[in-house]
Amino acid sequence: MRSTNSAVTALERLAGRRTQAGGAGTPPTVSCDAVMSPSGGLVKRQRRVYVTVLTVIRHTSYLSAEAASPQPISESEQAMKLRVFIPVLMVAGLALAGCGSAAQTESPAEESQQKPQKLVVWDWKSGEPTAAEYIEKAKADFAKRHPGVTVEFVAQPFDQYYTLLGTAIQTGKGPDVMLFNGGGQIRDRVDALLPLDQYVAEDKSRLAGWDAFTKDGKIYAAPVTLQGHPIYYNKALYEEAGLDPANPPKTWDEFVSGCAAIKKATEASCFALGNKEGAGIQFFMSGLGSGILTPQEYDDWIAGKRDWTSPHVKRIFELWKSAGDEGLNNEGANSTAMFTDIFRVFQTGKAAHIIGLMSDVGHWKDFGEFLPPDKIGVMPAPVVTDGTTPSLAFDGGIGYAVAKWTKDPESAADLVRSLTSTEALTAFYAKAGAIASDMTIDVSQAGPAVATILSEIKTGKPALHVALSSKTLDLMGRLSQQLLSGSTTVDEALEQLAASDRTA
Amino acid sequence: MGSSLRPVSRRARAERLAPYVLVAPTVLIIVVLRLWPLVLGVNFSFTGDGELNGTVVGLGNYLELAADPLFLTSLRNVGLLVLLLPVAVAIPGLLATFIYLRVPGHRVYRSVYFFPAVLSPVIVGAIFNLMLAFDGPLNTVLGAVGVGPVDWLGDPGIAMFTVIGVHVWATFGMALVVFLAGFSTLDASLLDAARMDGASLHQIIWHVIIPSLTRTIQFVFVTTMIGMLTSMFGLLFIMTSGGPEGSTYLPEYYIWHQQGQMNRPALASAASTVLFVVMLVVGLLQITLLRRSGRQD
Repeated sequence: MRSTNSAVTALERLAGRRTQAGGAGTPPTVSCDAVMSPSGGLVKRQRRVYVTVLTVIRHTSYLSAEAASPQPISESEQAMKLRVFIPVLMVAGLALAGCGSAAQTESPAEESQQKPQKLVVWDWKSGEPTAAEYIEKAKADFAKRHPGVTVEFVAQPFDQYYTLLGTAIQTGKGPDVMLFNGGGQIRDRVDALLPLDQYVAEDKSRLAGWDAFTKDGKIYAAPVTLQGHPIYYNKALYEEAGLDPANPPKTWDEFVSGCAAIKKATEASCFALGNKEGAGIQFFMSGLGSGILTPQEYDDWIAGKRDWTSPHVKRIFELWKSAGDEGLNNEGANSTAMFTDIFRVFQTGKAAHIIGLMSDVGHWKDFGEFLPPDKIGVMPAPVVTDGTTPSLAFDGGIGYAVAKWTKDPESAADLVRSLTSTEALTAFYAKAGAIASDMTIDVSQAGPAVATILSEIKTGKPALHVALSSKTLDLMGRLSQQLLSGSTTVDEALEQLAASDRTA
Repeated sequence: MGSSLRPVSRRARAERLAPYVLVAPTVLIIVVLRLWPLVLGVNFSFTGDGELNGTVVGLGNYLELAADPLFLTSLRNVGLLVLLLPVAVAIPGLLATFIYLRVPGHRVYRSVYFFPAVLSPVIVGAIFNLMLAFDGPLNTVLGAVGVGPVDWLGDPGIAMFTVIGVHVWATFGMALVVFLAGFSTLDASLLDAARMDGASLHQIIWHVIIPSLTRTIQFVFVTTMIGMLTSMFGLLFIMTSGGPEGSTYLPEYYIWHQQGQMNRPALASAASTVLFVVMLVVGLLQITLLRRSGRQD
């Protein structure tokens, strides 16, 4: 037993010395404690930890002493000792509780003197064949200015992207440059990002969509694409129903009666709605919002002054519910996936309208594979409230940001600028089918839908849902499903949303 | 005298130390890779997220969990899984019985039943997503026989049962094999005797087969339980993403959602700790039950 005992003695000595050292005001060795409780509490806690460890060791030695003894011990006795031992271990764990943090607060400052030769970029785009030319162009542009720095693109699966990024942020190590969705996803993580204002000043007028990457007046990423929610409609179905595809309905009443005519003539539903993930309500809110909220209410909403009790905000959710109740949506909206299934419903002519996207997926170029481009129209939001001026809802879609922990912020910011150069973005627009953030790109070849979208960019406003936190969006997704299924009321939903929006 | 004693005591000491040295690698691996991360996780769960990162918030995260209807739903769903466990055990048990009793075509069934067990949950989920879609084949069949369409994955009252059903479908093959292995140890003369005495099928199952297979049934109970509580994530992720209305959340999915989507690692740690405690309790209960019934044998 001497070996265990000597270990105990050594620890006892350590515990004792620690107490003295603490008493003398020497800084502790356990760093988390130093952060948490720099004064008196620390000595007590550290001592408690050592004492607990001691107890654990005493128990083990007790067990092993018994095992070594010639007398056999009964099973139950041994089990009892184990039962004592396990809680002791757990207590040891809990004694440490409350020190440390879920994410590292300090960035590794050392080694910053040495210039890195490599920048690592994380995104979910660079692996796609349609983005290959874009990445090539951006790399070439960057190489011209920084010949000594290599750039490595790591394409992560989008499903896991923010999980992986979260882990990187917690450890304070990871990519130098990373891709973000605009809005909540980047705003929730600005603590880990470098403000880019000083680096991107020259690009500010050439590119659109900065707001989605801005928090508290600071820019954290440069926009690559614009993302928004135009209302697409199937002109062929309009013709079949005897409606004029060149003159889409201007008011909500016209819209609904037009839908009735289409339903009668073609059996197609009014909206293609996929709300399985709860994203349908976001598209609905942003696609139709400008026809429901007055311009003042709209701007207030974006600015963060959101009145969830106002009649017009309530109207958005009433409209959502009534669209479901009155059969404007395709059946089974709550179990139809947004990105994989619902666009098929629109493309195959089973629905006349869809509130889609402008970039990435579910847009003019995607639909064009099945519907002839001249049969796809884009209409402004129908006017629900008199006196509103419908506008296109759009924001910066995706953009590249620079991590706070990068060792060479200037090169990293320069890489972001290369990734948003006109040449690179032209390639992205042409191959991937995105509305690029660069307003100087010529898009005259892309068909009427794109022309309509671009003509509306100038008067466009940020999308309503992008202003909400991801927590509130998550809640809104679930509530929207409940509204469709009838298990909650508009008033109850608004109350919960208001509460969530207040704390976010 | 002293010098002649020394080698003996050294050897005695070496012998005393040997067991510690031998178990040291295992203990180290368990402590460093299992227990220490566990302690760190519990530790994180007492700190805040976002602006409060690194600050002690005491039981704040746990209070938030207790007030979060989503987390409570996920715990209720764990309860539902436990309640449905007998069904998940009975299905392979019954099917194995039929195969053992040589129903016509039992050889085919034996391989067909095992087939889904080799598919990954993602593939199973994708297949059933197509099958169970609102405008999918199953609803078309139901419509043809005059039953209205069922929103299998879109109705909050049905979705969880759908997912559990698919999980049972995908995994019962393994339990079936274990049951068949158990049957191979069954004393055939008992069955013959029962048949001679004119016992019905029901009586044979109840009075002969089940008592003889107690051990196997216990084993299947434990493994099915573990499977249900730990490997539903893939199916949930593919089939419902926790929806509709958050009705199909399980703690694992909740943890993933908070950590990956909501950027709340500390809250996720707290949820992990709660899940750990739940699993600990369930595991200890199972061990106790097994030990008790083991004594009765």
